[in-house]
Amino acid sequence: MTKEYAKIGEYSAVEAMVCHSARFLANFDGKKGLIGTGLPLVASQLAKKLYSPNMIIFIETGQADANPQELAISIMDSRLTYGSSWQMGDPEGLYPLSRNEIDFGFIGGAQIDKYGNVNSTFIGGDYNKPAKRLAGTAGAVDIGVFAKTTVILMAHQKRRVCEFVDYLTTPGWMVKKWPEGTLVRREELGLQGGPSCFISSMGICKFNDDDKVMYLDKYFPGITLEQIKENTGFDIDVSRADEADHILVDEIRLLREEIDPLNIYKMR
Amino acid sequence: MNNLFDKRPRLARSNKVVSLSEAIDEIRNGDVLMMGSFVDTRRPMAAAYEIVRQQKHNLILLAQCSLAEDIMVGAGCAIAWRGCYTGIATFGLSPATLRKTEAGKFFPDEIGHLDIIYGALAAMVGSPFVATRATLGSDVLNDQLDRNRILIDKAGNKAMIPKKKFELIEDPFYNQGLVKLLPAMPADAAIIHTQMAGEKGTARISGSLAFDHYFVHAARTVIVTTEQIVPEEYLRRDPNRNQIPCTAVDMVVEIPWGGHPSQVMGYYDTDIPFIRDYVLSARTDEGFERWVGEWILDVKSRDQYLDKLGASRLEGLRAADPQGYRSRS
Repeated sequence: MTKEYAKIGEYSAVEAMVCHSARFLANFDGKKGLIGTGLPLVASQLAKKLYSPNMIIFIETGQADANPQELAISIMDSRLTYGSSWQMGDPEGLYPLSRNEIDFGFIGGAQIDKYGNVNSTFIGGDYNKPAKRLAGTAGAVDIGVFAKTTVILMAHQKRRVCEFVDYLTTPGWMVKKWPEGTLVRREELGLQGGPSCFISSMGICKFNDDDKVMYLDKYFPGITLEQIKENTGFDIDVSRADEADHILVDEIRLLREEIDPLNIYKMR
Repeated sequence: MNNLFDKRPRLARSNKVVSLSEAIDEIRNGDVLMMGSFVDTRRPMAAAYEIVRQQKHNLILLAQCSLAEDIMVGAGCAIAWRGCYTGIATFGLSPATLRKTEAGKFFPDEIGHLDIIYGALAAMVGSPFVATRATLGSDVLNDQLDRNRILIDKAGNKAMIPKKKFELIEDPFYNQGLVKLLPAMPADAAIIHTQMAGEKGTARISGSLAFDHYFVHAARTVIVTTEQIVPEEYLRRDPNRNQIPCTAVDMVVEIPWGGHPSQVMGYYDTDIPFIRDYVLSARTDEGFERWVGEWILDVKSRDQYLDKLGASRLEGLRAADPQGYRSRS
């Protein structure tokens, strides 16, 4: 692969997010990942082609080592079945998680807070009259509880990257201990793992070792620190950030020509 | 507890093969109902249409409010739901479910994906509950958002809903800390759609089984709708490839294209424009009513439904070997 860089403006913010996610998945070559539907699935396909050819993909609807030839439009799409080692159902898709076999979970969501908690259930209002009901809890809660680590991908907007999520779907670093709902570190509930990073449309965020609060680790070329601060719903520490590597022409070409030629995921 | 899982008494049938309207006649108002498979694949769509046509009401749905359920919710057939998903994959959120929820006419009770599985597992193995760490730390355990009381109030058969949603205890066996006791999640009825079934109820599925191989053992009445009834003897030549035993099934209905517009692996692919049109239409009450009129209430028979779709449209959806879907290239 040639290291020819794409010019800023020749790719979308969503494409940049997917490419940087695929690069991050290089950390998981040879590892087992439970991949969520939507853009995580797209990024995992790019990663398999470029950065982690031996990554093993599990899907919560029961495919072991999925190797799709065409991009699936849904986690139930038979495009994920053909080429898998094994096709069972949702129980067999999720039991590897709860028996501690899954090295990483990779999910999207609608809202993420400074502790890496993710919301995919509802935004605003309350449960009885939610301002906006979302797709629901689905496997995102199970991935957050059981995976050895999680990777989160989401567009970077002020209302999405917030102080605390409206509904805690996927446990991050500081989670709720019931019945009181007290905020505690996840270890206190016996939960391993926790989010490795949050890859947004503007940069890559990680979490402090001590207080587990999110900080900016990388900003994408063409994005300023001011833009990131303006689009974050809490006072994010950007003092340790440096610029991420530029997007490659080959990454964009693969995304557009081979992975999603019909633009099913509206990345461009 | 055991009688929760007793099969519903019914007239002894010498032949399980029935018409769709006869099968759906067995679904009662207030039933806890599991519609088979997941999201937009191998969904019992013809059965959902028939539920709308027969104007069932007060149903409590399990697992999801996706493609099949959203139509039933929009038509006022369902009052509540316990599950983990209210979307239709890349088509967006389930439009009627969102509208009814936000209008206070439909009551969702959120659980996790593993909760559905463990709840079905408990019912399947005849255990009143199982223990798991699933959902610890999340708002699934937030008692202010708990709708268990509403489910009890609405259920036709109160015995199908547990007294409470969960119980937290300390692991008494391996010192693993906090664990959740999760009650069994039985259903009054499950309706699944399969690629093949025999006349005695044995069924064969391709693609993800979703929860079907669990819920057929966790439901008091099981209806299998199928693309194709094949001789039972044919399926029994290779029983390892069958996922649903005849003993779990009460009724079998043959409905070619019965999963349309969802995908049925090996038979046909997703009808993308059809689902897009539904999702756009169902965003408003008026649009939904128009859609239900056009595709369900004004359609007098399955033949008329298929004629309305047209041969060329259906041919364009046909799956091909060996992949089992219709390749885009």
